[in-house]
Amino acid sequence: MTPAMRRLVAPVVGIVTFGVLWELLVAVFDVRRFVLLPPSAILTELLDQPGFYWSNALVTGRHMLVGLSVSLVFAIAVGSVMAASRFVEEATQPVLVLILVTPWVAYITSVVLWLDGGEPTILFMVAFTSFPVFTFGVVGGMKSADPAARELLASVDARPWEVLWRLRLPAALPSIFTTARFAMGLGLAAAYFAEGSALTTDGLGAIGRRAASFNDAEILWTTIVSSALLGIAGLALISLLERYLLRWHASQRA
Amino acid sequence: MSKSFGSLDALAPVSLDVAEGETVTLLGPSGCGKTTLLRLIAGLETPTAGHIVVDGETPQEARRHKRIGFVPQAPALLPWRTVEANARLLLDINRKGSPSSPSTSVPELLDEVGLGDFRDAYPHELSGGMQQRVGLVRAFALDAPILLMDEPFAALDEMTRTDMRHLLGRLCEPLGTTVVFVTHSIPEATFLSDRVAVMSPRPGRIVQQVPIELPHPRLPELEDTESFFHVTTSLRSALSAGMDR
Repeated sequence: MTPAMRRLVAPVVGIVTFGVLWELLVAVFDVRRFVLLPPSAILTELLDQPGFYWSNALVTGRHMLVGLSVSLVFAIAVGSVMAASRFVEEATQPVLVLILVTPWVAYITSVVLWLDGGEPTILFMVAFTSFPVFTFGVVGGMKSADPAARELLASVDARPWEVLWRLRLPAALPSIFTTARFAMGLGLAAAYFAEGSALTTDGLGAIGRRAASFNDAEILWTTIVSSALLGIAGLALISLLERYLLRWHASQRA
Repeated sequence: MSKSFGSLDALAPVSLDVAEGETVTLLGPSGCGKTTLLRLIAGLETPTAGHIVVDGETPQEARRHKRIGFVPQAPALLPWRTVEANARLLLDINRKGSPSSPSTSVPELLDEVGLGDFRDAYPHELSGGMQQRVGLVRAFALDAPILLMDEPFAALDEMTRTDMRHLLGRLCEPLGTTVVFVTHSIPEATFLSDRVAVMSPRPGRIVQQVPIELPHPRLPELEDTESFFHVTTSLRSALSAGMDR
């Protein structure tokens, strides 16, 4: 088998094996449908009303994309200042750690009350939960910029924004992409849970929450699988962007 | 001027004049303060005592007006920029200080150093010698009246290093640029300089200034002549005399 074929076949074999084992597990142990629905039933439900899942996945996808983008913009702004000033870095770090370790599920009800539910709550939760991760990535990446190149820019009196734009930001890209994968995982979980809590009707999280309270195993499990597929699509998008924007970087060379 | 870092005297009081169009090499062993002296001239450090005048300005003003072309020890190419974009880097920064019509364009300079076919290549596709040639083009592209070079060939193998000093001689010769060059290589100092300031460590100081009276233009064949050999010998003894003091 050629390496190219192996890269194509191996993941398919893995997924199919996992699906078969799952199907057998449910059949052999006669697992209750709500606890674990067999993949065949999920597939049937998905093919029964693809438009329903597609449109809700688009809503959740939009929440993630907007929330993560807002988070990244703030992370770049805050991270640039942190990378430039040791004092600001040391003052900000404990706050970021606090945001990172506090379980967001614990305070989401307060956020719903504060922002009156709906889209603002969801976007806030996605952005807020992913913000520390992105910021740490930005700071680490910017500080890794070649000191000799920094000195070179200083030799022609580069302004701080030129150093940021021409040197620090591109140097931070590899680490931003690495953290983007974690941020996406956090953002998807936050989007799903927030949609379920924010008194909205659209989004995978909202229909998943309704299905759970109505004991609808089909919709619940198809929503779970749709969310996983959405996560895979997000990772694929990150990899694609990375391949294009980091084509100069060692990680993208064979 | 002099320079201390905390209680460490990096540079004892030092006085050095470099005439317009002259190439002066700071030659000395590691830790003799030659890089510190160069960084002071470049305005990347400030002297503890004394002052520096670069073409009638302070080093900080000279930096602002882009009158200094700096070549660091490592090529410091930006891996996301192509060869040509790297060569243009210093022109793209602080644009109002850039020359309105440089005497030689970046593509012409790249052709001259033999990198014309590599304009669109990325730094990782180049050898160490080629990367440092981009570093030279980047400094020359500024058309600055002063070039400051900090052991630019230190990391290269001996053969590439010899080629590079010949190339640098060829590039500098017609321009009349003022050059301050830092090295610990005696042949490099001999081939490139009009004058060599021999330095010695603890604390860093200039122990002797040796004029190099070899004919111009300096061509590679010069290195096989007796007069070249004589100069290298006298520099070597000046260096060891400095170490013994």
